[in-house]
Amino acid sequence: MENKVNLTLNGRAVSARQGMTILEVARENGIDIPTLCYLEDFSPMGACRLCVVEVEGSRTLVGSCHTPVTEGMVVHTHSPKVLAARKILVELLLASHPDSCLVCDKANICELRRIAADLEVGLPRFHARKHYYPVEDENPHIIRDMSKCILCRRCVIACKSAGNGSMFSVAYRGFESKVVFGCDQLVDEAAVCPDFDGCIALCPSGALRKPVKIGEERAEKALIIKG
Amino acid sequence: MSEKGISTLGREGLILRLKEAQSKFGYVPQEVMAELAQSLEIPINEVYGVASFYSFLSTRPLGRNVIRICRSLPCYLKGAQTVIEAVEKELGIKPGETTPDGRFSFQLANCIGLCDQAPAMLINQDAHVELTPEKITQILRMYK
Repeated sequence: MENKVNLTLNGRAVSARQGMTILEVARENGIDIPTLCYLEDFSPMGACRLCVVEVEGSRTLVGSCHTPVTEGMVVHTHSPKVLAARKILVELLLASHPDSCLVCDKANICELRRIAADLEVGLPRFHARKHYYPVEDENPHIIRDMSKCILCRRCVIACKSAGNGSMFSVAYRGFESKVVFGCDQLVDEAAVCPDFDGCIALCPSGALRKPVKIGEERAEKALIIKG
Repeated sequence: MSEKGISTLGREGLILRLKEAQSKFGYVPQEVMAELAQSLEIPINEVYGVASFYSFLSTRPLGRNVIRICRSLPCYLKGAQTVIEAVEKELGIKPGETTPDGRFSFQLANCIGLCDQAPAMLINQDAHVELTPEKITQILRMYK
């Protein structure tokens, strides 16, 4: 029999299996914690910080995707402090994101946009230098627009575990960080991968997308933005 | 299992090999990165990711001498900006550029641990401290 851990989640007593993360326990109990970098079945990145929660007795908010539950833990997933932090995090992500949602192919399935709407982020408060990179649309299977990348690293992780190391890596440092292909080359016609659709489906923004061929219907569901 | 062991060992050796290339060629040429990727059995983008992360590794050719002026707070407060401008004027290039004759590359660096003698800069491996715009001409003359 596995060890059980008892904790309090948003005022409710719940029990979980030893080794589960706060995020897993929350999702199992029907609590929706937003995430942008988390991928089920992969080791957590903890890059986007959107999954932060308040743990009583902890000095800071903790990332729920990489924090295991402990006995007697008291967790608040949607306290005012948590919501304020998440809102600012999304605002900061959007600060350097191009204002091109209106014409973005992935606008209707964009996770970043959905979370921004859910958190009622509103008009931009912060303005950071935007990175503009050329759109890489030479390849018949993938279009890459790194201007829209939020550096969640999902494509890097997913590609790495698909086989012989990743096609993508994070290069440079700080504000200059960028997910690169090869020695920061464009993903050209010659680039081949058995499963480009994998990383495209995982990309939470418009950075990776599938070229839409004429006559091909879009399969994705429309996003319903409230308000 | 053993396959994993080898690739981990390869990753550990990566920075050392990149440093060797840096001191041999003055930068890390793309051909070297391709060779490293092949011999360590890791993708070239990963080699590039590491090489581009570190300030003291360069993925592009640099001048014979590399000037790095500290742009962190203590140096800034002690007037690093006037020193930066003096170097710009002396060499006719901006930070991030190399002189056309290949004599100097000019970069801005984060803290180089010489805050007690700010403002400071490194030229290649030499530290120059307590800089003033007036000292710049004389210092630069030492490097050919």
